[in-house]
Amino acid sequence: MTQIFDPSRFSSIAARHHEVMRLGARQRQMMFAGAFLGVLLLVFGLIEADFSLSRIINGTGKLGDFAVLMFPPEPGPLFKTYLHALGETLAIALLGTVIAAILAFPFAVLASRNVLPFWLTRFVVRRSFDTIRGVDTLIWALIWISVVGLGPFAGVLAVATADFAAFGKLFSETIETADPKPVEGIRSTGGTAAQEFRFGILPQILPVIAGQILYYFESNTRSATIIGIVGAGGIGLHLSEQIRTLEWQRVAFLVLMVLAVVAVIDFISSRLRTAISGAKPI
Amino acid sequence: MLAIEGLTKTYGASAAVRDVSLTIERGSFVGVIGRSGAGKSTLLRMVNRLTDPSAGRILFEGRDVTALQGAQLRAWRRSCAMIFQQFNLVGRMDVMTNVLTGRLSHASHLRSLLNMWSDADKAMALAALEQFDMASLAARRVDQLSGGQQQRVAICRALVQEPDIILADEPIASLDPRNTKAVMDALLRINKHFGITVVCNLHSLDLARSYCDRLVGMSAGQVVFDAAPEALTDDVARNLYGLEAGEVLELASPVSFPATTTPVAA
Repeated sequence: MTQIFDPSRFSSIAARHHEVMRLGARQRQMMFAGAFLGVLLLVFGLIEADFSLSRIINGTGKLGDFAVLMFPPEPGPLFKTYLHALGETLAIALLGTVIAAILAFPFAVLASRNVLPFWLTRFVVRRSFDTIRGVDTLIWALIWISVVGLGPFAGVLAVATADFAAFGKLFSETIETADPKPVEGIRSTGGTAAQEFRFGILPQILPVIAGQILYYFESNTRSATIIGIVGAGGIGLHLSEQIRTLEWQRVAFLVLMVLAVVAVIDFISSRLRTAISGAKPI
Repeated sequence: MLAIEGLTKTYGASAAVRDVSLTIERGSFVGVIGRSGAGKSTLLRMVNRLTDPSAGRILFEGRDVTALQGAQLRAWRRSCAMIFQQFNLVGRMDVMTNVLTGRLSHASHLRSLLNMWSDADKAMALAALEQFDMASLAARRVDQLSGGQQQRVAICRALVQEPDIILADEPIASLDPRNTKAVMDALLRINKHFGITVVCNLHSLDLARSYCDRLVGMSAGQVVFDAAPEALTDDVARNLYGLEAGEVLELASPVSFPATTTPVAA
């Protein structure tokens, strides 16, 4: 090893820069204090939530009983109905996600600091997103059912409403992280604000946003199952019925159907996402 | 002594570096020159093993470093410090921490992940910064510094690695003339003062001639010139850069166009 530094001089250098020598210490103390508070909060939360290891262990036995009752999974006479319902669930997820994305995009632009520097529009749009997001998809399903009645239409509206707000926040944050240099490049050519957005920002954010939409479609296939339980159409309705009537073999079959579809969508959309990001062709 | 034997890197059908063999003596200051895309960067990156060669060997002091893995590979990388054109510093971290990352392979693994450094490491980082009059900036975030300052931080990071070789990949390509001189002088000082071998990719032939004691010219992935700087005549240089006989390299006067108002695509 090449001798570059003279260790005998280190103490005098350290003395000369004693503030820099202590630079990381404060940061670290803050970090440890934060971690300690976090652990404290976790323990407090677990106690408040009646956390009990023995109940988990005893309950696991019951889980085993259900598993035995579920075997072998079989659809009963209603296989075709289930298949149709599964298609409905998929349709709810797809339509809800697409509608949410299309509606959310213009509002997300309004909520982005680097596109629209007026704080008032940003404030209003962002707080609206927050308000809508504060209500879960399941609650939106109950609300829309009371407005448009039972069925998949309420499901589509529920997914669209909840994800409109989620997309609004995600998209606007994505737009704000766009690199300002290309925008400046377009501005320097004499472009309008719209042209700056179209050529400076859009090419940067489009692959990211497409990935977000695909991910939400995946996750909405699962939540569309849940909202079916409250009557917003799809396979969830059948699932809750079979659970109520204790037909465990059918429950198992329905769950497996949902799992299979989610796995397929997962596979396709992850391939699509890599392709869109340009990392690898499909 | 660093010996490169038949080193080749292919990407699909095209070869970025083709059968390069070189011997670099300890303590020398070697400039690698050539056009963009001639394979200079790939060559340096292969020496540090950031890029794995497709064929050939790299030997340091007789030891084959081409197939090293794990801890031995990291130890080798530690001993041949890289300096990048775009600095490759962590912009959101302060100068001090950036320099201290040069000590990563010396420090205890767990302590380094917790950003806890020994006083000796910190003092060493400060000693490096003092050499380039940068100690007063130790607490500043790197992305607040100018390009020249950032490159000096990168050199400090390289220095505290206590390397045997410094590989500089066009270290001055994004710097102004004054910072260019500061950075090249720093590399020269490291070379002469500590005897560290420097291998430096350069675009500017003037700089290559005045700083290096040996020049290696690359073209289309191959070594086409390897001699003392004095041997780099204008003819050789023109050939290296694929210029016509009439074209002059440095301070070329712009091509003259006839005055006209006719649109190009008319």
